[in-house]
Amino acid sequence: MDYGKLILVGLLQAALIMLAAPLLDGISRRLRARIHSRRGGSIFQTYYDLFKLLKREETVPPQASWVFAATPYILVATLLLLAMIIPSITLMSPLGLVGDLFAVIYLMALVRFFFSLSGLDSGSTFAAAGSSREMMLAVLIEPAMVVVLLTLALLAGSTNLGSISVQVASGQISFLHPAFIIGLLAFLIATAVETGKLPFDLAEAEQELQEGPLTEYSGRGMALMKLALLMKQVIVVALFLALFLPFGGAVDITSGSLILGSIIFLGKLLVFYTLVALIENAVARYRITDVTVITSLSFGIALISFVFYLALS
Amino acid sequence: MTATAIVNSLAVLLILTSLLVVESRRLKVSAYFYSLQSLVLISIFLSLAVINEAEQLYLWSITSLITKVFLVPFILLRAVKATGIVEEEPPLVGTTWSVILAALMVGLAFILVQPFHMLAVLDYKTALAVSLAHFLLGLHCMITRINALKQLLGFCLMENGSHLTLAIMAYNVPELAEIGILTDAVFAVLIMSLIAVKLYKAFGTMDASQLKMLKG
Repeated sequence: MDYGKLILVGLLQAALIMLAAPLLDGISRRLRARIHSRRGGSIFQTYYDLFKLLKREETVPPQASWVFAATPYILVATLLLLAMIIPSITLMSPLGLVGDLFAVIYLMALVRFFFSLSGLDSGSTFAAAGSSREMMLAVLIEPAMVVVLLTLALLAGSTNLGSISVQVASGQISFLHPAFIIGLLAFLIATAVETGKLPFDLAEAEQELQEGPLTEYSGRGMALMKLALLMKQVIVVALFLALFLPFGGAVDITSGSLILGSIIFLGKLLVFYTLVALIENAVARYRITDVTVITSLSFGIALISFVFYLALS
Repeated sequence: MTATAIVNSLAVLLILTSLLVVESRRLKVSAYFYSLQSLVLISIFLSLAVINEAEQLYLWSITSLITKVFLVPFILLRAVKATGIVEEEPPLVGTTWSVILAALMVGLAFILVQPFHMLAVLDYKTALAVSLAHFLLGLHCMITRINALKQLLGFCLMENGSHLTLAIMAYNVPELAEIGILTDAVFAVLIMSLIAVKLYKAFGTMDASQLKMLKG
């Protein structure tokens, strides 16, 4: 195994995800406009927004500590690391040594922790409400995700993301295995909650909470936070794709298969975002108390998946 | 090999749809999910018919398409419309515990089907366990939900479970017996939904626990 090359692939993935995230958002905004019978802006509008924010002056609330200033950088850095770990254009994890399920879960928890901490730190009431919602969502959805990932790790006999991807893609873990199908559905619900798209757009609800933890951000910090949120959506979807639909990823590290893998990965993302955009425009936001029903359903489905694993192994 | 895998995974979808039937609070949505579940059940019948070359099952699928996918949900929706009750009363067991119980039931069903060693069902052990779990889920729905129509839906779930068992273990039963079983279920649902509507007219609610109040 050529680690140097793999790290280069990881960097490529991180760059791809960072660059593709605003584009995907632009496309889903355009789709939303089309569904509303509007013409909509350019699909590159999100890039323009981010660049405009980067040029603006940054203000910091007087009572904020270093956490407020550091969070945008911490979030973007952690998400870039996640983008390097999760096998998206390849089947094996580019950072094989840390390409571990538990590392991914903890890094995602780190992102969430700093995101909500920054909201609390800014001293704004709206931000604090958004932060508490973010933490509540985490408490509700994480058990389901962990149970599904555990089942998958047991099926694969390894907690390495790359090894799971390879086994699913090669059919060693059958797509028709009951535990796999049920786990897929449970993880799909968890993915929908994690991406924070509309039915679950609770922490950054624009209309009621003034974008939650982002309330007090402006200028460069705002641009980075927005970029981080967009990247997080892509990464959560990429994790789902890597675990459950890894088909088409590059098996070996040649430039041809890497380019093909990237195109297939972007295609899968595009399909996913289109479906999400359709759902987003058909539903209203859940109340936070209603989300518990969805998340406990997801947890129950995850548990059933685990039971099927136990019964059939 | 793959054919039996398809039956088993369809059976797994059956469990998921029944969870949705049990957990959705809106009665109409529950009825639609029941219709969807019956579609899954019929696709299992069809694949079993293809695998086992059992012509009886084709006829059975057509009958159950008419009764389970259209007729039973139609009766239920009419009862919902007649009473105008959109949402059920809060159940005795909340969603979290309800789904955990469901997982336990699936586990129990697997333990219960372990001693089965008949050649016919050896391939379909998952499906058999699912049908048993389905029966238990229906029972759970009947016990823990207060709304009369929801309890009726629990009965329908139990029935779907028993149908699956029958289809797996005795796919060669003559058509007449199978059709008899299916139409029997329709009348049960019809009568029970009539009772539910009567209950609503007498008490102004479909809360079955109100039944203990004597009313002259």
